[in-house]
Amino acid sequence: MTIPKLEFPPFHLPPEAEALRGEVRDFLKEVLPGLKSEDRFASWNTPSPQFSKALGKRGWLGITWPKQYGGGERSFLERYVVTEELLGNGAPAGAHWVADRQSGPLLLRFGSEAQRQAILPRIAAGECFFSIGMSEPDSGSDLASVRTRAEPVPGGFRVNGTKVWTSGAHRNHYCITLVRTSGQHGDRHKGLSQLLVDLKTPGITIRPIINLAGRHDWNEVTFSDCFIPEECLIGNEGDGWLQVTSELAFERSGPERFMQNYYVLGELVRILGRQPAGRAASILGRLVARLWTLRQMSVAVAGMMQGGKSPAIEASLVKDLGTIYQQDLPEIARVVAESDATTEEDMADFLDVAQYATMMAPSYTIQGGTTQVLRGIVARGLGLR
Amino acid sequence: MDHDTRDMLLETAGRFFAERCGKEIVNGVEKGVWPADFWKEIEDMGLPLTAVPEDKGGVGGTLADLMAVLRLAGENAVPVPLAETALASLLIAAAGGTPGPGPAAIVLGNLSIDSGRLTGKVDRVPFASVADRFVAVANSGGKAIVAVVEKVNAKVTAAPSHAGEPYGTVAFDKAVCVFSGASAVSAARALEIAALARAMQMAGAADKVLATTVEYSKQRVQFGRSISTFQAIQHMLAELASYVAATIASAEAASRDADEGGLADGGSFSIAAAKTQASDLAQRICAISHQSMGAMGFTHEHILHHYTRRLWVWRRDFGSESFWGEKIGAAVAKAGPQALWPALTSSRYAA
Repeated sequence: MTIPKLEFPPFHLPPEAEALRGEVRDFLKEVLPGLKSEDRFASWNTPSPQFSKALGKRGWLGITWPKQYGGGERSFLERYVVTEELLGNGAPAGAHWVADRQSGPLLLRFGSEAQRQAILPRIAAGECFFSIGMSEPDSGSDLASVRTRAEPVPGGFRVNGTKVWTSGAHRNHYCITLVRTSGQHGDRHKGLSQLLVDLKTPGITIRPIINLAGRHDWNEVTFSDCFIPEECLIGNEGDGWLQVTSELAFERSGPERFMQNYYVLGELVRILGRQPAGRAASILGRLVARLWTLRQMSVAVAGMMQGGKSPAIEASLVKDLGTIYQQDLPEIARVVAESDATTEEDMADFLDVAQYATMMAPSYTIQGGTTQVLRGIVARGLGLR
Repeated sequence: MDHDTRDMLLETAGRFFAERCGKEIVNGVEKGVWPADFWKEIEDMGLPLTAVPEDKGGVGGTLADLMAVLRLAGENAVPVPLAETALASLLIAAAGGTPGPGPAAIVLGNLSIDSGRLTGKVDRVPFASVADRFVAVANSGGKAIVAVVEKVNAKVTAAPSHAGEPYGTVAFDKAVCVFSGASAVSAARALEIAALARAMQMAGAADKVLATTVEYSKQRVQFGRSISTFQAIQHMLAELASYVAATIASAEAASRDADEGGLADGGSFSIAAAKTQASDLAQRICAISHQSMGAMGFTHEHILHHYTRRLWVWRRDFGSESFWGEKIGAAVAKAGPQALWPALTSSRYAA
């Protein structure tokens, strides 16, 4: 008996992508020191509209999109390089991240011509930012159970319901919102649609949800008799499930799923000094080997996507491995630091980092598909369900 | 070799291993029975000469071709020194010699050559007890020399591995060399190539563990249904699949980098990372597969232990995760935090 093979054939990023890497590094060297980041350890969820705009000016947002929509018509692999350089260099890339990663591509694929023309050039310029309107108080992993209702009315929809964990809704311009436009709650995948919602629309209330680290990233977004014009329907009415699933593939496959707390590794290298003891060096090297492997797998997935494949199972597997690595990292680093930090001062500094990273760690295996959802997908890939 | 030739070689080798390397042979080796016929067939197929140039009587394949064969050997728990003999042959050919027939062991460690004679002792040499000859990379006045010593001129103390393979300690005391020549690679590099070979065998073995476990879970019925339908089992197997995929992906990436970068130093960082990962992941791979297969997988009767015991042993062969991890970590620390990201993206030790 043969079982389906999950292979990650080694893949080389092409020369044009490697050339672009050099340009991105030079740009970041120039721009990053001048930015006042609100976060000491910036990542893809740290917003800086100023930085996003500068990136847009260089043509590095919407990089794969057609030029007529402000894109760069470059390859998915070049986008990969820009993305990983932002992460590897600690750029505050949070403002544009979701728009560039999934909202833009979704509009490009399913949106109307008017929507594309109105929105995509602004995303590519780093001036228009998006939130994800999927989860609800009673719908997390079970996304098909959404209750937010968009009732067809003359000229559009009347929307009632609540979205939660909506990152950046208090700052962003739009939220692509998954709603039920027909049928009943129990109809599951049928009758769902996606709406392009301007977050300034009357009838929308945005309240902060503070996370355990005291940060305000999340919001609760409430719609009460909120009128959304019909031209804001994305794709066809009733195709919401198909569309949202394609969006999830973008959400799961990127390097942000193992590079989110890369700064911890950098800090560990710093406090161990240039000549750590053998045991500490060995633990550091094992972490580096793990990260290197994740990157090889992620680049292989990017290669498959560029080759026109849909490696949804492989992407889920990398997100699973990557987020577990991210959870292990602060803990392994802390334990090594306890015994091998070079000075007390270094240690105190490092503990700030490690404690913050430890508090953030539970989120990695929840957001963008929980470990359990991902393992269900991989199990299906193995032919087990 | 071109793609078609390689595919043909791999298909032939894979089928041959699957058909001929049954559990009688693997269990036999553990009992001290040398499978002479099986080895003869391996030699007749030219497998130990996969990466030896044609003008030296070899097959003329690349290092990556050889590594792909070794992954298949790992996938079938081939209990003879194919990897060792193939690497020995490659080293001899690259040092200007012509590799001969018979199983060989490679000996890497604290060895020196003086007036053409080899001296030193190395523990835990894989297949030491069944090798016709020993191939060492030794230092001689700062230069690396490939030296070949017949078994009659070496002292072997058998110390079988925990997988039952004939490992042992090998000592040379001014041993006569039937061949010696300037090595194309340093002793440290020879160790890297050997580590890559083991990482590829581990990738093959890990793959077999996954296939075996998935197949079993579909057939095993408990509580009236196959255990593969239980979510607890599905999640365990998905986790297992992720570790297996990581083992394979890192080994294959290292094999590619080694091949593309050349025999002298290609893929140095990638190999270290791959062997570190393979060794690090082996325990979880073994643990999950055994948990999934229950008492059945814990019997000597079942083949699972042919793979899990090898994975456990191979973790240490040609450098453990601690050894290679320390090499990576020391280099990363020496270069400092700013050099880490460029090193990761170029798969090279930071300058």
